[in-house]
Amino acid sequence: MLITGIKSRPVYDLLRPLPGGKRHIVAGQGSGGRAMLRLLDELADLGQQATLLYSEESFSGQNFLAQLQQQPAVELRVYASNQALLEDLKGMLGQARMGTRLYLTGSESFLGTAMQVYTAFDMNRDEVLREHSGTLVRRVWCVHCDTYTENVTQRVYQCPGCDLTLVVRDHYSRRLAAFQAVKADAEVPGELPQAEELDT
Amino acid sequence: MSLNNGTLNLRVARIEAVTPEIKRFTLVSPDGAHLPAFSGGSHVVVLIPNGQNTLRNPYSLMSSPYDTSAYQIAVRRVEDGRGGSRRLHESVREGDLIDITPPVNLFPLVKQARLHLFIAGGVGITPVISQLEELRLSKVPFELHYAVRGPEHARLGEELQRIYGGQVHLYRKGVDERLDISSVLADRPLGSHVYACGPDSMIDATLDCARALGWTDSHIHFERFLEQSSGGEAFTFTLGRSGAKIEVSPDQSMLEAVEAAGFEMPYLCRGGACGHCETAVLELDGEILHTDDWLSDEDKLANKKIMPCVSRAKCNHLVIDL
Repeated sequence: MLITGIKSRPVYDLLRPLPGGKRHIVAGQGSGGRAMLRLLDELADLGQQATLLYSEESFSGQNFLAQLQQQPAVELRVYASNQALLEDLKGMLGQARMGTRLYLTGSESFLGTAMQVYTAFDMNRDEVLREHSGTLVRRVWCVHCDTYTENVTQRVYQCPGCDLTLVVRDHYSRRLAAFQAVKADAEVPGELPQAEELDT
Repeated sequence: MSLNNGTLNLRVARIEAVTPEIKRFTLVSPDGAHLPAFSGGSHVVVLIPNGQNTLRNPYSLMSSPYDTSAYQIAVRRVEDGRGGSRRLHESVREGDLIDITPPVNLFPLVKQARLHLFIAGGVGITPVISQLEELRLSKVPFELHYAVRGPEHARLGEELQRIYGGQVHLYRKGVDERLDISSVLADRPLGSHVYACGPDSMIDATLDCARALGWTDSHIHFERFLEQSSGGEAFTFTLGRSGAKIEVSPDQSMLEAVEAAGFEMPYLCRGGACGHCETAVLELDGEILHTDDWLSDEDKLANKKIMPCVSRAKCNHLVIDL
C-alpha cells in the first residue's frame, strides 16, 4: 500500500462536445493536437466554433500546428511552452462567463497543472473534459525537499533537489498535480525496493 | 436539553407575526444549554400532535449558524393544508414545549463558489437568511433577489436590506419592477452559484434560465417547499416484508401512512430531495406518480423505485420492499 495499488490517478476523459455550452475553449499541447482536431470536427457538426490554445512543447516531438491552422476557429493562440499557455488560460478564465466549456488535452503534467488553474475558478466536472495523450511519464514531488521532477519513468530515482534516493508512490495529488516520492530506504537503511519501469 | 427518540424537546421562547401569513418562532433549550450546531440552509422537522397521529412538517432554520443559543423558524399558515401550520399558528403559545428533529442540511452553500446568487420567493427566504448569516465571515460576494406578493409581505426582506444594503434586491408586487431571473443570471463570472427557494414556478424558471445561459447543474441549487403536494387520491399498498396492507388517505403521504401504521422507515427531508427513503418496488399493477427530485428520469420510467415521502400510486396492486 505504501507504494502501489493506490487508485488516485485521475481517470481521464475522451473529448466530445459538452452540451449547453455558450463558449468553448480548447487547450492542448504536443500530441494532444490530434484530439483537438477530432473535437473540432464534432463541434463543427453542431455548428459551433472554439477558441484554440496550442502549445508546441512536446515530449515526443509531435506538432499539429499546421493542421490546426486549417481549422475554422474563433481564434487560435500559439505558445512555445506549456507554461506560457497555462498563464494565458488563467487570464482568459478570469474574464470568462458562466456557460463556458473547457477542453484540455496533452501530457499528464499539462493536464494536472491545467486542473490547478481551472479549479481555482471553481469549474466542475460537468464543465471540463480532459483527454490524456502520449506517454504516462510522471511528474513527481519529493516530500523531503519540495522539488518537482518531470518525466520520471523509473520506480526508484535520485532527487535532483536533495540527492536522496526516492521511491515513486502511486499516490497522485490533484492539489500538487504530481505523484509523491519518499526516501526509498527509510524503513531499513540500505534496503532498496526493486527498481522497475513505471507503467508509462 | 434532552434528545428523546432522536428528537429535541424545546421551549417556544417567542412568537411574532412577520407578515399577515408568517409567524416567526424562536426555540430554546428549556435548560438554557446550547443547541446542536448547524450550517446555513439547514432544516428541522417539527412534530405536531394531531389526534392519534403526528404531523411532521419540515421548516428551514432562519437564525445564525454562529449562534446556537436559539433556533428560529418561519411558519406560513396554509389554509387548505392538513392543519399542521394552522395548529402551530393557533394552538402553540410562548412557553410551550415542542419536539423537533435535529438540523439536517440539504441546501448548503458551496464553499468553492466565487459568487453566490440567491433567488427567493415568499417564505422561501428562510433558508437564505441563515445562509447569509453564514456568509458574514466570508469575503465571497453575494446578491439576494427576493420577490414577495406585496408590501405587506416584505418585512423579512426589509430587515435583510437594513443589514446587507444594496446586495439585497427586493421585488414587491405592485411596488417594484418584476424579478427577471434571466437577467440576474446573465453575464456572470465562472464559479457563480445560484440558489433558488420559493414556489415551484420560480424554481422551474431558475432552472430553465440558468440552463439556457449555459450553466451546468453543479452550479444550480434549489429547495422546494412542498405545500402538502404529497396529497392526492387515496390508494392502498403492501409492505413486502411484513405483508401489512397500508391505506394512504388523500391528505397523507405514503411515508406518513407507514408511520401511522406503526412502522418506521428512514427519512430526512420529507420533500423528495435527499434520497433517504428510496424504496424498491417489488410488484406493481398500475402507475406510480413520481413527484420527487431524487430519482433520475430513467428510474422514474423504470418504476423499480419509489420515494414514499412525496410520490403516490394509482394502482390496483403495489408491493414495496419494506
